[in-house]
Amino acid sequence: MSTLEADVRARVRSFLEENFLYMRPDFVLSDDDRLLERGVVDSMGVVEILNFLEDEFGVKTADDEISEANLGTLNAIGAFVASKS
Amino acid sequence: MCGIAGIAPADGGEVLLETLACMGGAIRHRGPDGYGFFTAPGVGFVHLRLSIVDLSGGAQPLTNEDGTVVVTFNGEIYNHPELRRELEARGHTFRTRSDTEVLVHGYEEWGVEMLHRLNGQFAFAIWDASKRSLFMARDRFGIRPLFYTIRNGRLYFASEVKGLFASGEVPAAIDPAGLDEVFTFWAARAPRSGFAGVQALEPGSWALWRDGSLTTRRWYSLNYPEAREEPLDALGELDELMHDSVGMRMRADVPVGAYLSGGLDSTITSTLAAEASPFQLRSFSITFEDPRLDESRFQRAVAESIGTEHAIAAIGETAIGNSFPDVVWHAETPLIRTAPAPMYHLARLTKESGIKVVLSGEGADELFLGYDLFKEVSVRRFCLRQPESTIRPRLFDRLYPYLADGSRGGEFWRKFFLEAGAPDDPLFSHLPRFELTSWIRQFYAPDFAASLAGTDVRADLRDSLPEQFPSWSPLNRASYLETSILLPQYLLSSQGDRMAMAHGVEGRFPFLDHRLFEFAAALPTRSRLQGLKEKEILHRWARRILPDSAGARPKQPYRAPDASSFFGPGAPSYVQELLSGETIHNSGVWAPRAVAGLVKRCQSGRVTTFRENQALVAILSTQLWTQRFMNNPIRSAALDVNGADVLIQNKAGS
Repeated sequence: MSTLEADVRARVRSFLEENFLYMRPDFVLSDDDRLLERGVVDSMGVVEILNFLEDEFGVKTADDEISEANLGTLNAIGAFVASKS
Repeated sequence: MCGIAGIAPADGGEVLLETLACMGGAIRHRGPDGYGFFTAPGVGFVHLRLSIVDLSGGAQPLTNEDGTVVVTFNGEIYNHPELRRELEARGHTFRTRSDTEVLVHGYEEWGVEMLHRLNGQFAFAIWDASKRSLFMARDRFGIRPLFYTIRNGRLYFASEVKGLFASGEVPAAIDPAGLDEVFTFWAARAPRSGFAGVQALEPGSWALWRDGSLTTRRWYSLNYPEAREEPLDALGELDELMHDSVGMRMRADVPVGAYLSGGLDSTITSTLAAEASPFQLRSFSITFEDPRLDESRFQRAVAESIGTEHAIAAIGETAIGNSFPDVVWHAETPLIRTAPAPMYHLARLTKESGIKVVLSGEGADELFLGYDLFKEVSVRRFCLRQPESTIRPRLFDRLYPYLADGSRGGEFWRKFFLEAGAPDDPLFSHLPRFELTSWIRQFYAPDFAASLAGTDVRADLRDSLPEQFPSWSPLNRASYLETSILLPQYLLSSQGDRMAMAHGVEGRFPFLDHRLFEFAAALPTRSRLQGLKEKEILHRWARRILPDSAGARPKQPYRAPDASSFFGPGAPSYVQELLSGETIHNSGVWAPRAVAGLVKRCQSGRVTTFRENQALVAILSTQLWTQRFMNNPIRSAALDVNGADVLIQNKAGS
């Protein structure tokens, strides 16, 4: 696993904690947790994640790439961003 | 339409006029045209009058011929001329032309059974000196409010909770379960309120206070005896009922106006009102300065097509933010949306235009299945019959095109609707809404959450459902939940009565004539919701009576700006203080760290979702509510007893 993936995961995690988990300080988010299923984000949250990835990593996402496989977990997001870089 | 309040000590003790004057002073806005008092051993009433019927003779409290039956009444009895003729034929002598007096004689003649004869919107209290009892009752759908509490053997009642607190004898405290209902159902369910020990009399119920004990009973229950086929003369019957209902609601000794949003329901009520009015009908609407929400063009077009003289209040985020403390003061509850604020401004415009009675379209969506929620029930059930289908859930895109927007988001919403509960759950229809609203509960302070241990408001709701509930169709079950929860406790109160009466404006609701409800409830549901076409029979009938140019506007959800009203340039100054960590901590309901996270997102303009908007409004309104009601005596000016229009003081033995 690349350093880039680890960096993406860490920065997305802190983004999620600040913006989506601020009311749940005891929530433990693991790298494999499914973000929609665990209620971390909703559909608008996915849009916010996409905007964050674009601003932070310059990743542009096509509509058909918006899927659980690419964005469903921290691990998936890390791998997705790495694959686009 | 008026305000009422009173006290009944179980021991027959005296009630001080000064106490009643304080209670009345707190709800003076409900009846700015006059006031009156009645006291006798064991009872005291105050009445605030908004004069609409019998302007010269309708002052209250009002008594029967020998003074043994006394009433204080808020509302309208539309069929009072018919009841009066019946009572006169039975030997009763009337001294006024007011509808109030039929309550006095009707109670003498029929007792509790009188209620079934009343067509109207009402909350009243009757003192029966011969039985030394106090009888209170509320209309079928909960249009007019009535709150009560018992402290130290004394019953206190008032149209608004602030009237109880103003007595100086009823302390205000939070009822955590009441708040938990607000943050699940949008409102506390009667008899619960947000205040500990303060009950709302349930819609369609009466209460009897005698010898220090209170008995409550439901006298009207919603029922859905659905027919298999639409009766052949259904349109004719609907036509007759609508004309009669509007005609009755035009009865007044002051000009009657109308709220006209440009949607189907208010276009119908305004069209019929314009036909029945001896003057050019005055109509009123609200619109938003934000061009994306501005509907003034539609509203003017509809007004022109039905010939009303129309006035529009255009408001923006600043007006909503600045008036929100007053809105919460009048609503007397934390809120989930800012939607009551525009209604507050609409009532102000109406009052300033010299109109104090308006017809409004509430009730049509509940009766004729107009809300998206009802379509949602059909689509969710349809999808869940074949859970593997990927085609069926696409129906949600038709239902909510703005959520389906491209490929982003649609999938989530479909999941959201389909995973929110099994079809055999009695609350199936409402679970997505309850789930969404309950998201707010994550912001509870740990101690507040702990105080709710053992409370399960959804289980309470399931337990309270009527025996016939399982026998009704899924859509009628949904209609029942909507008509018994959101309609009386939010739409007719926080957004209705309380906002209109803040400015002394009376709303009248032709669709909530019980005969119309019973007509609609007996129709096959497909006459009301056909596929995804809502209010089918109402549309079919409306084509007969509306001008061709009216009613063309597609149905719009009623939207008002939420979090954006409280942040950014022009934000009201109270927001920062009320949301500060220390103030949040002191009020005890919310977790300071969680609120700080939300506030930060609001400040950075990131809050765009429904659930975060509602959380912000919920938290801020709770702060305003606790600040105004808890630990703060109600400081409204007491009424001047010497200025009363009516002062009846019966001493012991008289």
